Parts: sequence; C-alpha cells; structure tokens
Amino acid sequence: MRILSLGFTRGVIAQIIGSALGTALIVAIRAILGMPNNDLRDIEPAAVFGGFVGGIAFMLGVGSMDDWIKWMRGIATPEYHGPDPNKPRWQRYFDVDYDHKVIGVQYGVTSVLLFLLAGTFALIFRTELAAAGMQFLSPDLYNTLMGLHGIVMIAAILTGVGAMSNYLVPLMIGANDMAFPRLNAFAFWVNVPGALLVVSSLFLGGFDTGWTGYPPLSARAPLGMQMFFIGVYLVGLSSILGSLNIIVTVLKMRAPGMTMFRMPIFVWAAFATSLIGLTATQMIGLSFLMVLIQRVFGMGFFDPTKGGNVVLFQHLFWFYSHPAVYVFILPGLGIVSELLPVFARKPLFGYKWIAMSSLAIALVGFFVWAHHMFTAGMEEYLRVPFMYATLLVAVPTGVKFFSWVGTLWQGKIITPTPMLFTLGAIVVFLFGGLTGPPNGTVATDLHLHDTYWIVGHFHNTMFGGFVYPFFAAIYYWFPKITGKRMNETLGKLHFWLMTPSFWAVTWVQMFIGLRGMRRRIADYDPTQGFEPAQLLITIAAFLIALSVLIFLINLVRTMRSSERVTDNVWNSRSPEWQLPSPAPDHNYADRPFVVVGEPYDYGLPGSTYVAMQTGTASARAE
Amino acid sequence: MDHPRRILIVSSHPLFRDGLKSLLHKRDGARVEIVGTARNTDEAIAALKTHAPDLVIVDHDDTSINRDEFLARFIEDQQPMRVVLVSLKETGPVVVYDRRTMAGARIEDWLNDLEIPQPKNALNESRRGSMKHFIAVAILVVIVAVLVNAGLEALGLMPVQASAQAVPIDNLFGMHVKVIAFLFALIVVFMVYSLVVFRRKAGDTGDGAHFEGHTGLEIAWTILPLATVLYFSYLGAGALAETMRADPQAMEVKVIGTQWTWRFEYPEGNVSSNTLYLPKDKQVLLKLSSTDVIHSFWVPEFRVKQDALPGDNMVKDLRVTATKTGEYKVRCAELCGQLHATMESPVVVMEANEFAAWLDKEAKSIPTDPVERGRRWATQFGCAACHSVDGKAGIGPSWKGVYGREEELTTGQKVKVDDAYIKESIRTPAAKLVKGFTTPMPVLTLSDAQIADLIEYLKTLK
Repeated sequence: MRILSLGFTRGVIAQIIGSALGTALIVAIRAILGMPNNDLRDIEPAAVFGGFVGGIAFMLGVGSMDDWIKWMRGIATPEYHGPDPNKPRWQRYFDVDYDHKVIGVQYGVTSVLLFLLAGTFALIFRTELAAAGMQFLSPDLYNTLMGLHGIVMIAAILTGVGAMSNYLVPLMIGANDMAFPRLNAFAFWVNVPGALLVVSSLFLGGFDTGWTGYPPLSARAPLGMQMFFIGVYLVGLSSILGSLNIIVTVLKMRAPGMTMFRMPIFVWAAFATSLIGLTATQMIGLSFLMVLIQRVFGMGFFDPTKGGNVVLFQHLFWFYSHPAVYVFILPGLGIVSELLPVFARKPLFGYKWIAMSSLAIALVGFFVWAHHMFTAGMEEYLRVPFMYATLLVAVPTGVKFFSWVGTLWQGKIITPTPMLFTLGAIVVFLFGGLTGPPNGTVATDLHLHDTYWIVGHFHNTMFGGFVYPFFAAIYYWFPKITGKRMNETLGKLHFWLMTPSFWAVTWVQMFIGLRGMRRRIADYDPTQGFEPAQLLITIAAFLIALSVLIFLINLVRTMRSSERVTDNVWNSRSPEWQLPSPAPDHNYADRPFVVVGEPYDYGLPGSTYVAMQTGTASARAE
Repeated sequence: MDHPRRILIVSSHPLFRDGLKSLLHKRDGARVEIVGTARNTDEAIAALKTHAPDLVIVDHDDTSINRDEFLARFIEDQQPMRVVLVSLKETGPVVVYDRRTMAGARIEDWLNDLEIPQPKNALNESRRGSMKHFIAVAILVVIVAVLVNAGLEALGLMPVQASAQAVPIDNLFGMHVKVIAFLFALIVVFMVYSLVVFRRKAGDTGDGAHFEGHTGLEIAWTILPLATVLYFSYLGAGALAETMRADPQAMEVKVIGTQWTWRFEYPEGNVSSNTLYLPKDKQVLLKLSSTDVIHSFWVPEFRVKQDALPGDNMVKDLRVTATKTGEYKVRCAELCGQLHATMESPVVVMEANEFAAWLDKEAKSIPTDPVERGRRWATQFGCAACHSVDGKAGIGPSWKGVYGREEELTTGQKVKVDDAYIKESIRTPAAKLVKGFTTPMPVLTLSDAQIADLIEYLKTLK
C-alpha cells in the first residue's frame, strides 16, 4: 500500500473514520436514551461531535502530533530534521515535515487549490446570474455556493499568507527555521481537515447565510452550517498558531546585526499581520462556536425568543472579521514594498514609515469593526465614532502609496512579470482603497451597504491587496524555490488578460450596485435593466479564469523543464538570494551571515546588505 | 576627516602601483584607503563599479591604458568620484577630473578638504531637471482628475433621487467622487510617468538614484490626508444628522419583514397592506421589525437603509420623506435565506390627497365575508410565498384541499388538518411538521379572529 505511506492519505482516512465513529457514538447514545435519529436535524449533535472527532483524527493520522506524543511518553526525538533519505523527495510535501520551506510550499499549493475551488464556485453561480430568472441552480444551491465561494476564498488567502510568511520570514531574517517547527507543521495541517469540513457542508444541506453566518438565519440553516462552523474553527486555529510562530521567530531568531529596522520590509508586514492573527482570530471562533452551541444545546445567545440579541453576534464576528481583512492585505502590501526597490533599482522610499504604517493599520484596524453595522440596528450613537476611526485607516494606507510612488520616481525601472503584478497590485488596491471612504461615511453607506458597490469595492481590495501580490510573489520566488524561472511571455499574457477582465468585473459591479443591485441575490429584477451588465460581468469572470489557466500551464511547464537560472536571477540584495537556488536544507547553517548594511541600498556602489561566510563547517547554534 | 578616502590606482607598472601606494600610506596614513589596483583599462572600468572609489589615480605615462575610453566610461555614472592623471616624467600641476562636472581642481586641496565641492551650476541643473518632471506631472494630474470626474458625473452614478434624505447623501457622495478622481489621478499619473520616463534603457545594468526618503514629505502626506479624512468625517456626521432629522408631525408606519415578504401596517385607520403607499412630501417614520430572521429595508431611490431585526425590543426607526410620485420597490438588502432574492414589494408614492383617499378607502373596505377576509390575511401575511393554492408543493405544503386532509408528520404520526392543528401550526410552527417539509414556518402575528377567517378561506380551497 504505497499510498498509505503518505501522511496526507492517512490523515484523510483517519478523518473519515473518526467522523463516522464520533457520529455513531452519539447516535447510539441517543438511541439508548430513546431519542429520535430520523433525519439530519435529529442527528445534528452527533454529526457535530463527529466533525470535531474527525478533525482530531486527521491530525493524529497525518502524524502532526507524533513528536509531542513521544515527548509525553519520554521518548527523545532528533533536534535536526532533514528529509528521509529512504523516500523520494516529492513525498516530503505530502507528509508532516518540519522544514519551513517545505511547509511554505505546502501552504502555497493548498492555497492555489483552494483558489481554484472557490473560483469554480464563483463561475458556477456567475453563469446563473448571466441572465435574470433561475436557469440551472436552485436558490438554496446558489446561496450555498455563494457562501462557499466567500469562505473558501478566505481560507485560500489565509493559506496564501501562510505560504509567503512561512517560506520567506526565516530566510529573510537569517534563521535556519521557524522558532517552533512542530507547531508550524501542526498549524499547516489543521487547515486540511478544516477545508474538508467546510466543503462537506455542500453535501449536508448547504447553508444559506453567506460566509458571515449571521443568526438567526444561521441558527435555522441546515446541517451544512455546523460543518462550516467547525471547519472555520480549525482554519482559525491555524491562523492563531501560525501567527504566534511568526512573532516569536521575528523577535528571537534574527541574524547578528539584523536590527528590527534592517529587516526586509516584508518581515514587518508579516509581523504586523501576525499580531492581528494572534489576537483577533479567537473572536470569529467564539462567535461561530456560540451559534453552534445555540443549535446543539438550545442556548439563547442570539435567539430573541430566549432573550438573546442578534446584533451581539455581529459585534463579535466583525471584531475579528474586520481586522482579518488587514491579515489578507498587509502581507500583499509587504510584497509590493519588497519587490518595488528590486525592479526600480532604487532604495525603498521611507522604509521606517512603511514599516510603521503596517503596524498603524493593524492597530487602527481593531477600532473600526462596527462600520460593517451602520445599518444593522446597533446603538445609533456608535455610528459617528466608528466613522471617524474607519476613515483614519486611510492615513497609514496613504503613506504606503505615496512612498511607493517615491520609490519609483527617478528609478531605473524594469518590468518583468513580477513587477507587472506589483504595479497592478498598486493600481487595483488604490481603487479598492479609494472606494472605501464612501462606505466609511455613515450617510453614504446607508445607500451603499449590501449592494454590488461593496462587492466591487472589496474585490478590488482583495485582488490588489492579495491576489496580484501573491502572483507577483510566485513569479518572483519561483526561481528561489525550484531553481527555474517561469516563462515571461505566458506571465505577461496572464497579466494583460487578467487585468482588463478584472476591471470589467468590478467597475460594472460597482456601477450597478449604485443603481440598486443588491448583493448576494440568486436572481434579480429584470425591470432594473441589469441583464446586459450581468452578462458582461460573467464573460469577464470567465476571462479571468482563462488567465489563471495560462498561469497554471506556465507553472506546470516550468516545473517540467530542466532549464536552470542563476542563483540571484533578479539581482536582489535580500539574503535569501545570496543562497543557492533552491535554498539548501537548514538555510544558513553552512553560511551564517552578518548584516553590514541597509536592505535596500540599490544605487549605492560598493554597499552590501549581508556579509556571508561560506564553507564554514560550524553551523550556527539553533 | 571622518572616513578615509577610497583610492583606486591604475597602471600596468608594478613600481608605479606599489610605489604610489606606499607613498600615500606614509604621507596620509588613515586618511586614505587603497581599495584596489588595476593593471589595464578593463580592470579599471570594472573596479569603478565594484570598489566605488572616491578617487582614481591613473598613470599618465602608461600608453597601454586607453585613457579616452576610460574617461568616457568614467563620466557616465552619477556617483561622486574623481580621477587624477599623474605623470612621473612631466612636471607641472596634475589634472583632476570630477565625475560630475569634469572641472579641474588640485589633488592636494581635495585630499585636505572635508567637503567635496559641489559646483553650483550642476546642482541647479539637476534641480531644474526635477522641476521639469514635477511640472509635467502636475499638469497631467489635473487633466486626468478633471476628465475622470467629468466622465463619472456624465455617467450618472445614482438612481432617481426620490426622497428628501437622498439629497445630503448624494451631495456627500459627489464630493467623494471628486476626491477619488483626484487621488486616483495623482497616484496613477505619477506611476505611469515614472514607468515611461524612468524606464531603464536597453543594455543599461545600472541602478537608479540613491535616495532613501524624505521625512518632510512623509509628514506632509500624513498630515494632509489626516486633515482630509477628519473633514470628511465631519461632513459625514452632518449628512447623517440630516437624514435622521425628525419631523414631529411624521406619520408612523410599521414595517414587518417575514421570510420572504414585507407587510406594512398603518396605525391610522388600522389598515395593513403588502404595498407601501406613501404620501408625497410628508415625513414617514418607519418602525421596522422582523418575525424571523434579519431583513433590511431599502428603496434604492430613497437611498436610506435599515435592518429589520427580530425581538420585541429591537424595533428600529427609519425616516423617509418621499419627494417624487411614482412606483418603486422595497428590496430586502440583508441575506435572509432561500428566497431572499424575491423579497421585494411595491412602493407607491402618491399626492397627499390621493394617499388620504386610499387610506380612508382601505379602512372602510375590510370585507364582511370571513372567506374574503381570510383571503386578504393570506395575502398580507405573505402565505403565498410558501403555500400554493394549486396543489404544487412549495417551501410548505400546498393549501389545495388541505382542510380535513390527513397528513403524515416527520415523526411518522398522522394528523388530521383541523381548526386546532392549523392554529397550532401558526402559533408554534415547528411543533408538528408535515413529512417532506423541513423548514419551519416563521411565527406570524395573526390574531385569533384572523386565524378563524383564514380557516374559512382554507375550507374553500378544494
């Protein structure tokens, strides 16, 4: 059984068995107690228990807790984990592996797969929306697919963020791995049962609430809702543990001479992101857990007939879910700041200001959550203070834009594919950012809230803040990961096909949103005259899909080719590019370095960022 | 002198190189650092990049060095650097070339000087160059901003303006559009201009200008946006207050959302309706509530929006003063489950006298026939959204022939549909669900008399 030697397969099988056993146990207890087990609603408590047991079973089955269990039993484990010489190298990626670069790639591949899944959901319901009237989806299935598109995209973004920060942070600060490699592997793998649970909701009645899961609707939704809650809970756990790891790594594992203000700027973004992830994620877990408990145990948290308050949920939910959008975009903005100097051949303009603006966005982001609730019926006196706080976010965000422009000014700019996506990120995110203040001032938000305007606005922030930078990062670091460079022609085709299509989608969305197009509706009133616009959006969405297909073809072709490029293909100063490509196991163990200069002194002759000792046998202590 | 001068020596003669090296060391000690030596033109040109010397000393007598080529390459770059040609054969002053100006100066002066003299005309020239770029960009920004704003205004972004509350909202949105157009133009024009003008020429492998930032600029572009957003918040608060301004004479209308219909109750005249009738130019105080999940009241032409929440103490206010007669639709803006998309009801704005006439007529038109009254309640409470009268199964069982029918429940029990069962099903919908239907009905606020009427109506649906 070759396939069983993969941790991944063992985990999935364990999860299926665990879910079945957990469910069966509660069903049996219910039967003994004389309680009915006739339909999905009756066995809901059993299925919820099974869902949790399945999640734990996966983590045991994949082997993510092996070392911890050994420690509990008093068995020592080796300090240094390398690849198992008895197994082919590709197999590392399907097993629990403690190398941060392997984990980074695992995150990245998971992210791309989740993107494709969530994008497919979007294409399905986008096709339904191309014309008024219901053509091939039922309203229930539409609602489920729409909600899944949202939450699977969020999982894709979170794993994408995990990919970038896990792969890059240790390499950039001169560490040989993360501070807690086992926790790192655990934090990655817990996403897998989480994602499987979320997707399983599709087959258990779905859920009709969108990804926000507002009660009382979510308290009445089918069983799929509960699987969604448990899945999100596990993905959230990954965020918390991953963030903890990044924070400790950044604070404790930097190379000699690498002061906080000499770190590559992406590390600041990852650090600010992790501060949010560590402290806010609990709240979405809590809010969803409360609905889950309300459903299973009949509690009245959000049930008005039992004295509960439906607005309370929204406060708890958005206390995470607003800062979460900064978790999605800050790493992407960090990528932009990281790549611009390389391709403008000029120092990053205002390094400290950019670093501090990430922290400022993270901080202010905690005081703006109620701007999602201006029409929700919260206390009216809260609206104006939250408006002021919300608009303040524009200030540190503006600092980034102006500094980026300052970086380009009088540079010697070159535009290979990663730079194209970096520039695309700036313009798209700029548009997303500029369309934010009208939602921030309460009066205008009364009209804009819950319309396609909002849909267009946040897709601009998500594409500009994450999708474009993520593609830039893949094109840019692909030679670092594999030693091979992706094809430029296909890369440029990808960019020039995706960008106009994306504008077509979101500009039209925003326009018909202003004209009265509500968001999240399975069908729309043909008398409003939105049919041509909806058709246009659908066609453009398929063109985006086509551009992503070109990207995938490029990815696979490059993987298969044997053409290698030089180690420092972009002529970057960053330490990871001073290593051979692909980077060796344990990064700098044989090549410790000392930071002797500033990270972005492009154009200053004779200056270097790091001085690397090569060929020294003595590995630096971990 | 705070750091040693970095010197590169170029000569094919070891005696020249080593002799000059030891001489300079002896004479100037820590003030100079010989960063390298080069034996020919190629090495010298390469060393310019790798060693970044402050001063290059070239053997004037060495014919193997192509001086013209070297000097041509030397002046290409912008980095401050000088070259001195030293001859052992000829006497007279040595010639010092400054990379930026190519103006001569004396080597002794330079070695003893703390500052590299910056010729004034060169500085002015580079400033003039920058100014030229900035003026070009400023003109382009203004043009693009005006065009974008004009284009958006010509497009007509908002739907018909049909309420007094829409006016401050549209005005504020118009100001937002202007700021969006300006800032979009500002950043994009700067970027595109840089991409065109500062693009690296083919074959060039050099780097851009080395400047790391400008604290004054950073402070400026922190303070100015801060002032702008504070001003916009102030405007936003003012506009919000205007949409909430209460008229003590306002007419109250209850708005009740139920999956997936709206019902409007007019306390004056004890009238209720599924169409929202409103008098023109009179403020209406909408009292919003929900019987099940969260809904949201939105008429795009009125702009304002407010969620309707379940819960006795959660009735929310929304004020609307319709200003244009016509037909609109209230469209539920908060995802409320399966048929959210279809949760739309007509809104009719009439002249005040027409409205008064309608209200009066409705108040007097409550039918005397219980069957007709029952039919009326069925319409008003939105029963038809789930219960058909033609036998087709919907979210709930069809009403065709329902009265007196025997139904099998989800528990497997059988029950006869009689007065008691119907009443129980309305009061506590989840208690006994008919097999095959999993979604319980929302709790509706029908009175006992209304339920009695409804039962009479059901009896007629054979």
